[in-house]
Amino acid sequence: MTEIRKFSGVILSLLLVAGCTVKAVGDPDRPITINANVVVDIRGLKETATGIEDLVAQGGK
Amino acid sequence: MRRSLFMSAIIALSVIAMVVPSVFAGSYDLKEITPAVKQALENRQARYSQLQSLKQKGAVGEDNKGFVADLGRDPQAAAMVNSENRDRRIIYQALVDQNKLGSAGMTEVQKVFAEVQRDKASSGEYIQTPAGEWSRKT
Repeated sequence: MTEIRKFSGVILSLLLVAGCTVKAVGDPDRPITINANVVVDIRGLKETATGIEDLVAQGGK
Repeated sequence: MRRSLFMSAIIALSVIAMVVPSVFAGSYDLKEITPAVKQALENRQARYSQLQSLKQKGAVGEDNKGFVADLGRDPQAAAMVNSENRDRRIIYQALVDQNKLGSAGMTEVQKVFAEVQRDKASSGEYIQTPAGEWSRKT
């Protein structure tokens, strides 16, 4: 019984460390996991995109 | 004793697995302005006024993939759209590569830039909704 528990614990830990893949839904308040342990924070990305577009607009005026 | 050590190790691993991804989230940027990115940004700045003029005339619109689209109302628009989209792609690709977002990351980057362009569009300019419909911004 103890061996089974240990085995289950190890498997669960491996699953958590390896991460998982979920489908992107585009909610700005919810980070999206694209690949194992690669998380895209949509809000952070939007701030970056806004900064780049501001830079283009300011330089182009 | 051994059992409690084992359980502590499992808990520690679980916490690390849950915390590490969120620590790295939200730090996207152009970490390095390569010569190609610099050139793309300068090109976009140089054509900005002309592109805005075409948008206001209804000849060019912002699509839902982060690019501009030629709406067929001005013969000058096609060349402008091709150049602008080439430069945007360089910038998007740099963001994906430098932040290691992978191939699926490009779709997210494009969607986010499209959203920003819709937000920044002026009244009367053509924008494409996420569902694919074109309309004039009110």
